[in-house]
Amino acid sequence: MEIQMTGQTTGKAIELEQAAVHFGSFQAVHPTNLRIEPGEFFSILGPSGCGKTTLLRLLSGFLDPTGGDVRIGGKSMVGIDPSVRPTALIFQNLALFPLMTIWENVAFGLEMRGWTKAKRRARAEELLATVALSDHAGKMPAQLSGGQKQRVAIARALAVEPSVLLLDEPLSALDLKLRQHMRAELKQIQARTGITFVYITHDQGEALTMSNRVAVMNRGRIMQTGTPDDVYDRPDSAFVATFVGEMNAVDGKVVTALDRVALVETPLGRFRAANPKGLGPGDEAILFVRPEKMRLLNAKEDEDNSIAARVTRRDMEGAWSTVVAHAEGRELRLHLPHSGRDTPPSGEVTLGFSADAGVILPKGEMSDD
Amino acid sequence: MTRLFRAFGAPLASVILLLSGVWILGLIAAPQLIMIEQSLWRMERPEGSAEISVQIDGLYNRLDVIGLDRSVAESETDSAKRETELAALAAEEAAIKAEIAVLEEKESTPVKVYTLDNFGQMGSAHLAIFAKTIVASLAVSAIALVVCYPIAYAVAKLETPRTAAAIMLALVIPYAINELLRIFAWQMILNNNGPANALLGLLGFDPVPFLDSGAGVFVAMVYAYILFMVFPLYNVLETLDSNQVEAARDLGASTWQIHRRVVIPHARPGIAVGCIMTFMLSAGSYAVPYIMTRGTAAPWFTQLIYNRFFEATNWNVGAAYALSLLAVCTVFIFLMMRLLKVSLKDIAK
Amino acid sequence: MTRAVSGSTFVLRLYMALFFAYMFLPLGVMVAAGVNDYSPPSITVWQGFTLRWFAEFWGDARMWLGLANSLLIAAAVMALALPMGLSGALLLSQLGRRSAGLLYTVMVSPLLTPGIIIGISTVIFWRNLDVTAGLFTAILAQSAFIASYAMLMFMARLQRQDLTLEEAALDLGASRARAFRRITLPFLKPTIMTAAVIAFLQSFENYNTTIFSIGGNHTLVTEIGARMRFGISPMINALGILFIVVTVICAVAWAALRRREYQLESVK
Repeated sequence: MEIQMTGQTTGKAIELEQAAVHFGSFQAVHPTNLRIEPGEFFSILGPSGCGKTTLLRLLSGFLDPTGGDVRIGGKSMVGIDPSVRPTALIFQNLALFPLMTIWENVAFGLEMRGWTKAKRRARAEELLATVALSDHAGKMPAQLSGGQKQRVAIARALAVEPSVLLLDEPLSALDLKLRQHMRAELKQIQARTGITFVYITHDQGEALTMSNRVAVMNRGRIMQTGTPDDVYDRPDSAFVATFVGEMNAVDGKVVTALDRVALVETPLGRFRAANPKGLGPGDEAILFVRPEKMRLLNAKEDEDNSIAARVTRRDMEGAWSTVVAHAEGRELRLHLPHSGRDTPPSGEVTLGFSADAGVILPKGEMSDD
Repeated sequence: MTRLFRAFGAPLASVILLLSGVWILGLIAAPQLIMIEQSLWRMERPEGSAEISVQIDGLYNRLDVIGLDRSVAESETDSAKRETELAALAAEEAAIKAEIAVLEEKESTPVKVYTLDNFGQMGSAHLAIFAKTIVASLAVSAIALVVCYPIAYAVAKLETPRTAAAIMLALVIPYAINELLRIFAWQMILNNNGPANALLGLLGFDPVPFLDSGAGVFVAMVYAYILFMVFPLYNVLETLDSNQVEAARDLGASTWQIHRRVVIPHARPGIAVGCIMTFMLSAGSYAVPYIMTRGTAAPWFTQLIYNRFFEATNWNVGAAYALSLLAVCTVFIFLMMRLLKVSLKDIAK
Repeated sequence: MTRAVSGSTFVLRLYMALFFAYMFLPLGVMVAAGVNDYSPPSITVWQGFTLRWFAEFWGDARMWLGLANSLLIAAAVMALALPMGLSGALLLSQLGRRSAGLLYTVMVSPLLTPGIIIGISTVIFWRNLDVTAGLFTAILAQSAFIASYAMLMFMARLQRQDLTLEEAALDLGASRARAFRRITLPFLKPTIMTAAVIAFLQSFENYNTTIFSIGGNHTLVTEIGARMRFGISPMINALGILFIVVTVICAVAWAALRRREYQLESVK
């Protein structure tokens, strides 16, 4: 799939400087600083109501900040109408015009720019060819499948040659297979066009697979910004740790702290783990360990940390299985690669994890999913 | 039909068929057909009535002659001869009178003749009123559309759902208040000594005879039927996905372009319903011209129809007039459906 | 909050306020004249507050006869139009697409026909059967189009019916008629109530169809129309006030009912 842009459009940088939005007394977005690089695939990940859609509307121009500044390509966008911003928006429900044919939909932006019918028809055909919909130019949106509509929406947005493409959870209505296919397709389009993509989603799988960088949002604040690996491996708050991926979490109190590592006292025993936030002795803390970093220890094995537990359930997930164990009334989960030959663990076991597999973070709000 | 009987069982299905039949045939179809039939005939003097009247004249002459003969006979001295002559004349006279009665009956009993003449009865004066009624009704529809579109759009798309519901409820009140009262309010306002003229007087103008000039009819008509435009428009615009508007704007459309390409195409069924209702109510309105003219201004077409039926009592011409009105409304409906590409199902929501 | 509309919002708000003034001020004029102690009805000459026009209405026998006729006609129309409309809707629900389309057109046609034509055609039809115009023809003429409203309402409700319920009843041994009585009719009950109210109001308030079909008789509304033409007594305004009060009460009650219904739905 080759998207040819006619003009010299390239991605532009986006900068938020203390940008904030409040509706009456409700602070939808707290003052936020953020820089998105030109040509970057940037995702904003967060639960519903976290303010990510508000942030997107700030970029598209349907909303102006109640404080601070929004700049695209170095120019302030405050007071600039959506119709003249160098952005194009792909809506969650796609918002294809139901009473126009597919090609008219794709050419709508060009029509608004005063192109002649012949020229815009030709351009629409080109764009439709690149999304493999040439045969459908004369159909109505209602006659297309979900995936096809998706591609029409992309072609329609690209037709106006935006520098920034804003995507508001456009894949949420598709089924799993199609969604995975479209992820790859979006990534390809982004790479070929060099446009800056800002992708809003509550689906961490989408954010992690497609993005160059991810911002995790909660309650109107960006909690952490970084590469997918950063966010997954090095969460710096309890919220990010629990919202992205699965986590075992145990409350405790720091006993001793060295430069990078600390010892934490929990109801399950004392554990050594990374201490990125530099907590000191006596601080309330939570210990997090990813299920795939937990191991089953055999009798002779030694590990930085170990817990005696009792296996209560095993869920087969396909490529791996989740073992659910209980220790001191708390549930612990570990993921075991599925080889098909091992006998599943049962009864009393010892679980372990290395000091760099666990992380100690300050107490704070956790995600409840 | 078998599906009906299978779905409801024979007794219930029969009741359904009976009631539907009474309604569709007895209350809708038959009266309309009879009205059409009525418009297509009139009673005429029978054919050959001219010859008959010549014949009757002849017979009356004959009676005069008999009168002469009788006076001659009465002067006859022979009483027996006189009696027989008089008796013969009396018999002849009775026979002729009977014949005259038969012929006169024949001459004066009209026969039913099918003709299109009833429609031709309109004449230029009535035709002008007919045309004026149509043009004024079109203008009412157009004004209602222009005035109501921004209102319906603003309420449906720019207000919160709660405010929108409150506004529409407030509008239900003037909508639900009897048509006559809405008209009467304007009769008071536009009266020669009403508030409108009082206001003009304060500004130093002479009083305007709104009611006698027929302008009052138009003003009251717009007021009485405008809400029949607001509700259909609001109902369709409420179903417009706001993302459609935002998508168009994001792609560079101006406010005018958004309305022309996205909002108005979506609103077509509502526009059709609103225009059809306002046109039909205006063209078929009897109450507004009746109350707003007091008989001084030129009549509305519906008043002509009323007069044909209940004052001039020429029902055949009246039926023809009524049918003309119905035809115009029907044509208008089809035109709107064609123009706005909507079906009857869209119209009767 | 959205800047892009805020500029035009002011203009639109102003426009809407003007529209509301346009809608309500004339009614205010009428109400004011109804309590002004001056005849003919006027607000330019203010002679003080009075309720005597209400009293005048109270003593007007022709008005009371009109009211009695109106109520009689409305009751008969409800009894006739609701079953006819329901039958029409049930019939349509069981017909194939093509025949349903034609029948549907005929059934909604009275709504698209000027009211006077419905009145006239009914009178012509019955005169051919030697029935002179009167309450009877007015009832039939009104029923012809009020049944169309009822039919549309029943059709909308029937389209939302869960057909499996009726099938379940049949499966459990109910006869067709019994399944209709126990399942479909209760499902339609709220619509029957609403349709009855609408039919009553449509009949009671009707002028155009009635004036052309009632012959020498009169209803409250046709009598009001006749008196309005010359606007002699503010009694008409007093009656108008009564109409407005009843309308407002009905509208508020309706809104409250709708709200409760909505809340019940959302609780589910």
